[in-house]
Amino acid sequence: MKNVVITHGSAVTGLGTSLDATWEALNDGRSAIAEVDRFNTDHYLAKVAACVPDLAADATGSRLYPLLDQVLAQLPQLPQETRLFTATTKGAIDLLEQGQRDGREAAQLQASLPVTMTRWVADKLGSADPGQNVNAACASSTQAIARGAALIAHGRANCVVVVCADLVSEFVLSGFSALQALSRLPSRPFDVERSGLTLGEGAAAVVLMDEDTALRHGLPTDIHLCGWGIANDANHITAPARDGCGLILAVEQALTCAGLAADDVAAISAHGTGTVYNDMMELTAFNQLFGDRHLPINSIKGALGHTLGAAGGLEVALALPALRRRSLPPTCGLEQAEPLAGERVKNVPQPFRGDVLLSTNSGFGGVNAALLLKRRDG
Amino acid sequence: MNPYRIAGFGWVSSYGFGRGFSSGFSGFGPGTLPQLQRQDLFDKPDRRFGRMDPFSRLGLAGITLALQDAGMDHWQEKRPVAILAETYSGCLETDCDYFTTVIPEHGALASPQLFAYTLSNTFLGEAALRFGLTGCCEVVNSCRPDGLAVVDNALDLLDNGEAEAVVVGFCDLDSYGVLQAPGSLFLVVDKSAPSAQLTLTREASGALSLSGQPIACAMALVARLKS
Repeated sequence: MKNVVITHGSAVTGLGTSLDATWEALNDGRSAIAEVDRFNTDHYLAKVAACVPDLAADATGSRLYPLLDQVLAQLPQLPQETRLFTATTKGAIDLLEQGQRDGREAAQLQASLPVTMTRWVADKLGSADPGQNVNAACASSTQAIARGAALIAHGRANCVVVVCADLVSEFVLSGFSALQALSRLPSRPFDVERSGLTLGEGAAAVVLMDEDTALRHGLPTDIHLCGWGIANDANHITAPARDGCGLILAVEQALTCAGLAADDVAAISAHGTGTVYNDMMELTAFNQLFGDRHLPINSIKGALGHTLGAAGGLEVALALPALRRRSLPPTCGLEQAEPLAGERVKNVPQPFRGDVLLSTNSGFGGVNAALLLKRRDG
Repeated sequence: MNPYRIAGFGWVSSYGFGRGFSSGFSGFGPGTLPQLQRQDLFDKPDRRFGRMDPFSRLGLAGITLALQDAGMDHWQEKRPVAILAETYSGCLETDCDYFTTVIPEHGALASPQLFAYTLSNTFLGEAALRFGLTGCCEVVNSCRPDGLAVVDNALDLLDNGEAEAVVVGFCDLDSYGVLQAPGSLFLVVDKSAPSAQLTLTREASGALSLSGQPIACAMALVARLKS
């Protein structure tokens, strides 16, 4: 298999319009979670979310494209043969909201489809590949990155760009509220008092290349995407398997793919939504996989909210500075860690020793995805 | 490249529904989809099927029929089988139905039941838990004009050793998708010895063929399965 390197990561989040700005704010312990003023939240469990500040709709009527514009503007020039994946759960869902309220035509509703976002990104990039969107709930972008890595590793592509985005919308906030899955206060991943998730919005772009291509273009080759795994827990469509069987399987696949042992993992960027069951499932899985050794774990969702299909892409982008600095950002909102987490989750930056970071996401439909990133000093 | 066996296929179209060749597959065309009942698919009572949105019911039916055709619908232990589906409109109809419950009373009446089906991949989760499938589950919305991106993805998983078998297909409630008509079509593709009748091969050039005949687009695949 060819070596897969991550040559670029960019991000737009509630904490900043660049990866560096987001990284710095995260490490300062700041949170983007604030009262939502885009729509009436009177009847919802939560009135807070992590929105990108000053994100206004463009001529299409959606906030999605101005968000994507910001993240695409940070992309370097891509090789002509670059393969395109997008990842989103609901795309321009604000267009569907408007269409439903105004009784507009089917075209307005169709404009909200994920494939419209893929076409828009392909046009914007001038991509020769028409692209495809991956929808795997909250693991969408993680799975898209895994698919891209596999294409490169097996010699079917030299370069892949994954562009992911999801909005804070009334559609989604009302739904999670109806499911009783939202926290009234900013979410507190892995805290003993956690009571649900907080939504966020954001976009990320991640560029993967085979190492030779990256070297040929003079691009960084210090971060390798060395393993990936995807597994369904086949348990329930909206609840994770309590024993973490799907996540365990995904991580085991990633370790096998990378030719690494569990002991090689130095830190974990967890999904950490702040719901009672997700966080417990993850800790159960991590404990089974890694025993009780001190292995720093974090979640960024107490600061950036849960960005749905974009979550994994953002977390991979943020894993680049984390690995380069060997430090995990704080888990914002944490006060007293869930006992199963022990001392492994903290609300301050956590330095770690070692070169391998595990990034995981899980979601509705029983999906679980794991990526292993390895720092290699050149 | 490796030839793979199509172990079975299932479909739901405006002409009916069925498994493999035995049910007289007639392809896809305009018209209304059949109202599938639980008894059409499952021997035992199944409360969840009746609660599903039309998109999930259509997709789950296609997957169930395909697994039945392949003799893979019964299981004891979970299996590393992936499910990949291509859709254009996905659960758009469900999205509209759900948001209709949000508009009055500013969301106080939002339906949690409908919201659970406002992800296009939810029906894959339904299929995974019913049939014990632990492989990659994802819906793709491809812009590739030949409609075969999802089949390529499935062969990638098999070639890479990421799945022992893949249930792969197409599902849309309207005629904007790959099938150009409402319906679902799912194939079970595995690594068993290829059969003379249904062998899927990807050439080094990337071109697909079915039992030696080139498959230039998804509708050509449908046509070959009809013949």
